[in-house]
Amino acid sequence: MDASDGMAEASNDAEFPGDCAVLTILGGLFALAILAGFIGALSGLGGGVFIVPGLVILAHVPMQVAVGASLISVVATSAGASVAFVRDGWTNLRVAIILECATVTGALTGAYLAGVISQPILEMLFALMMLQSAYYSITKHGDELLPASDALCERLRLGGEVPGDDGRMTPYGVRNLPGGAVLMVIAGIMSGLLGIGSGALKVAAMDHLMKLPLKVSSATSNFMIGVTAGAGALVFLSRGDVAAAVAAPVAIGVTGGALLGSRILPHANVGALRMLFATVLVLIAVEMGWRALSGI
Amino acid sequence: MNHPEPFSPTPATADEDRILRTWTPLILRSVLIVSTIVLTIGIVATVLHAPGFYVDRFRALQHGELQGAANLWTLLVGVKAGSPHAIMTIGLYVLTLVPLVRVAFTLVLFVKDRDYIYVAATAYVLGGLILGMMLGRIG
Repeated sequence: MDASDGMAEASNDAEFPGDCAVLTILGGLFALAILAGFIGALSGLGGGVFIVPGLVILAHVPMQVAVGASLISVVATSAGASVAFVRDGWTNLRVAIILECATVTGALTGAYLAGVISQPILEMLFALMMLQSAYYSITKHGDELLPASDALCERLRLGGEVPGDDGRMTPYGVRNLPGGAVLMVIAGIMSGLLGIGSGALKVAAMDHLMKLPLKVSSATSNFMIGVTAGAGALVFLSRGDVAAAVAAPVAIGVTGGALLGSRILPHANVGALRMLFATVLVLIAVEMGWRALSGI
Repeated sequence: MNHPEPFSPTPATADEDRILRTWTPLILRSVLIVSTIVLTIGIVATVLHAPGFYVDRFRALQHGELQGAANLWTLLVGVKAGSPHAIMTIGLYVLTLVPLVRVAFTLVLFVKDRDYIYVAATAYVLGGLILGMMLGRIG
C-alpha cells in the first residue's frame, strides 16, 4: 500500500466498469453482516460464528480472509452490544478481567498459529467449534444462583448481585476459577485461530463451571470477546492480513445488527430461539466439515 | 425502549458507578461512531471513485491475494491521496481501539479503588493487546 494507490484505483475504473458489481458485492456483505451481528448479540454467541462460514460458503473468500474480517466484526459486535450492557450493569468486571488474563494469552497464541495452519484443518476446527456452540445452546441449565463463593473466589471478591423474580437484589457466588481459566485459554486460542469470539465456550465456562447467573455470563462474555478479538485483530491488522474491502462493510453491518440484537435481548424469549440457532449451527458445521474433508 | 432497572452485579462505589455508567458508554459510543463514519466514508469513496478497483480487489481476495502490511504513515499518506482502501484500513484501526479503551477505563477504575490485584490483572490484559500489535509487526 503506498501513496500511488489512489491513482491506481482511479485508473482501474476504465478497465473495470464495476458500478453494478460493486453494489451487489457490498449489498451482499452488508446483509450477511447485519444478520450475523443481530443473531450473534441475541444468542450471546458473537457474530463471528456466523460471519466466517457466511464469507467462506456464500462469498467464496478463503478462510484466512474470513478470519481477519471476522475478528474485526467480533470487536464490532461486542462494542455495539456493550453500549447497552455496560449501561445496564450486567457485566461482572472482576470476573471479566481475571479470566481475560487467560484468554488474551490464548488469543495471541492462536492469532500467531493462524498463519501456519492449513485451510482444511482450520475449517475442520471451525466445524467442531460450531458443534460445541450448538450443543451448548440446547443444554443450558436453569438459572439457579450459587449462594456463596468458594475460598479463592471469595478472596478475589468475584461474587455480585442480580435482581430476583420479585425484583429484590439477590447475591450470587462464584466457584471454580482455575477450571474456568483453563477453558478461557482454550477459548482464546480458538478465537485467535478461527476469528470467532468463542462466546459459547466462554459462557459455558462461566455458566456451567463457575455457576454465574446466565445473563451476567452473557454480558461478561460479551465484554471479554471484544478484548480477546481485539488482541487477535491487532495481530492480523498490523500483519496486513485484514482485507479492508471485506472487513469494512462487514464491520459496519455487524455493528448495526448487534445494536439491534442487544436492544431486543432484554425483551426476547431467547430460550425459544436457541433451538433454531442450534439447528442452523449444526447445518453450517456439517457444510464446513464436508468442505474441510474434501479439501484434505 | 424500556430497559430493565439498572443494577450492579458487584456492589459499586460512587466512582465505579460514574465511570461505568457515564464515561465508559459515552467514550465507547464515540469511538464506535468515529470508526463507523470513517469506514462509511471509505466505502462511499469506493463506490463513487473506484468501483472497478473494489471489484478487482474482491476477486483477488477470493483467490487469497492479500495486500500486505502498511504502517500508519503510509496509510495516512494514502488517505491524503484519497485512497478508499487507506481510509477503510484507518477506520478498522479506530474500531480495534474500542476494547483497548474499555480495558484502559477498567484500569483507571481499579487504580482509583486501590484494588491492586485487579490493577495488575488489567495491566496484563492491556499489555497483551499492545503486544498483539507488536507481534504482528515482528511476524
